[in-house]
Amino acid sequence: MLFTIPNFAQKKDVKGYRIDGDEIVFTFDKEDYKNATHDEYGVLKDFEDLDIENVVVSGNFNNWSRRSWKMKKIDECHYELRKNIEDFTDDFMWEFKFLINHTYWAEPNENIANTTPATNEFGGYYNSSNLKFYTAVPKENGNTKFHLKGFQNAKEVVLSGSFTRWDEEYLQMKPTEDGWEISLDLQPGAYQYKFIVDGNWMEDPDNKKKTLNEFGGYNSVVEVKKWVTFKLEGYPNAEEVILTGSFNNWNENSYQMQKSEYGWKIQLYLAGGKHHYKYIIDGDWTIDPENPVLEYDGRGNINCVKMVK
Amino acid sequence: MGKFGFMVLFLLFFSHIQAEEIKLDPIVFPNAEVVNENTFRIPFKLIDHLMVVEAELFNKKGNFIIDTGSEQLILNQVHFPNLYLQHQSNVKTSGVLTTTNAYQKFLEEFKLQNLSLKNANAHVIDLSHIEKKKHMNLTGIIGYSVLKDYEIFIDLYLNQITLTKTDHYGNKLDQKVYLEKITDSIDFKLKKHTIVLKTFVGKEEMNFALDSGAEINQLNTRKSKKVLSYFKPGKRIVLTGAANEKAEVLAGKLYRVKLNDRIYFGPMNTIITNLAKLSEAFGTSIDGVLGYEFFLQKRTIVNYKKEKLYFINYPLKN
Repeated sequence: MLFTIPNFAQKKDVKGYRIDGDEIVFTFDKEDYKNATHDEYGVLKDFEDLDIENVVVSGNFNNWSRRSWKMKKIDECHYELRKNIEDFTDDFMWEFKFLINHTYWAEPNENIANTTPATNEFGGYYNSSNLKFYTAVPKENGNTKFHLKGFQNAKEVVLSGSFTRWDEEYLQMKPTEDGWEISLDLQPGAYQYKFIVDGNWMEDPDNKKKTLNEFGGYNSVVEVKKWVTFKLEGYPNAEEVILTGSFNNWNENSYQMQKSEYGWKIQLYLAGGKHHYKYIIDGDWTIDPENPVLEYDGRGNINCVKMVK
Repeated sequence: MGKFGFMVLFLLFFSHIQAEEIKLDPIVFPNAEVVNENTFRIPFKLIDHLMVVEAELFNKKGNFIIDTGSEQLILNQVHFPNLYLQHQSNVKTSGVLTTTNAYQKFLEEFKLQNLSLKNANAHVIDLSHIEKKKHMNLTGIIGYSVLKDYEIFIDLYLNQITLTKTDHYGNKLDQKVYLEKITDSIDFKLKKHTIVLKTFVGKEEMNFALDSGAEINQLNTRKSKKVLSYFKPGKRIVLTGAANEKAEVLAGKLYRVKLNDRIYFGPMNTIITNLAKLSEAFGTSIDGVLGYEFFLQKRTIVNYKKEKLYFINYPLKN
């Protein structure tokens, strides 16, 4: 058994992957791992003694496959694998590990921030660690920017929220001229968050949207929206087609659809979740003939449903 | 049309043996849509693979798991430390819970808007282990004792659960509930509180419990030998439980699962484990559990009184 002395002065880094455009690049560096474990024999090898023939990324995104996501060798110690972000479903947290020679699991050392004890579905713990992987990752020019003014003397500011299940270390904000900043790419939806300034939790002072949390305090709320296209085929002779719905309180004028080559269309910037809508074609309220997803409202009327995910 | 200003209220009244009543604040589902006097829809969010509805109780926000594998309405003792503990009973739950000694409480009356259920049971259990594991606030679990008087549509496309009141025979009290086409249906057997589905894996007939609180499907080790040819293992894992007991399970994908020749499933993530304890929790002998991925592949309506499941297709576009 190998004992290492943790170096407390060294800051923990997020290891194992980085984001490059719309790709997730899994990165394996031999130096980040100290032990290799085997499913049947437990801790087996000091990592330095291991002759690496190949490295595979194995995680819950590929059903812990031992072969399918083979990494590309960069040099003796470094391997990489690029995957498009579309290859992942929109779960927020993935867990993965690197598998050496299709046999040995690489156990992360203590200087990696994004480790989590490997758990089973009942909450029991496997006797090893997995790397945590959030799709809510810092990204320059991501669709959601978080900014905290001031606190220039703070040593560390962390963004914690529902998108990382309130992880208290992972999303480290970067100092800017007038405060702290981080940018994320998030799926449409409403998220709650707070800043942790040198260990102290605070709401976003510049965001009036907040909600009561379970501790009797408040969390700030950010709504991530998405462009959604509504298309209505046909009706070339209609003079006016209006889109109306729960998103504009059933206003009968505001969203005039434009004529297109196939019919009518309009793009809206919508919040995540369920929206009800109907078309008003020259004054007649009509359901979307192409949409099978319909619901009654509280008065027995029929509305179409658009789900934004 | 327009917005619904309604709220759906669960009113809970607890009573002591001495008939001294403790009145709880109402549980409010602030996001519920009222469709008609017998029907409402509650949006849920997914926490990992758990369906969680938001509710307020004692002016505090909280979360309830929708769990068809749980026998009762369960309140988390951590958030209700002062509730009177009437007597201990062995509550059987499954999915997110292991069999736990719980304090049973009787609700004299359990109200939903104008509807009320007499003598529904609630239990107060320490659920902090789930809270810790999931990094979530958990107020309680809504189980069979609440769900049984409704037809429930568990919809992982619109991320909502629709509850509509039924009569003694399971007929809906209001017909204007769903507009989407029901494409298929199948009978199940209700054994104690458990939905037991005759399921085929390849040609092998199995009895599976349908449990919305199960995050992953499970297959019994004892009866699974013949079906193992349809199971493609991914990873062998050793589980260590809270009491430090070790168990080995095999995680992988189960292929060729079908309910009949029309209703079949794509490969499903499944773990093979010893279900002896689980059968105890479900109150009946079962060969496995179908959970989250069942609902992910089928938008499912459960009618407890008719002992029938109905299915609605996922839309191809939109």
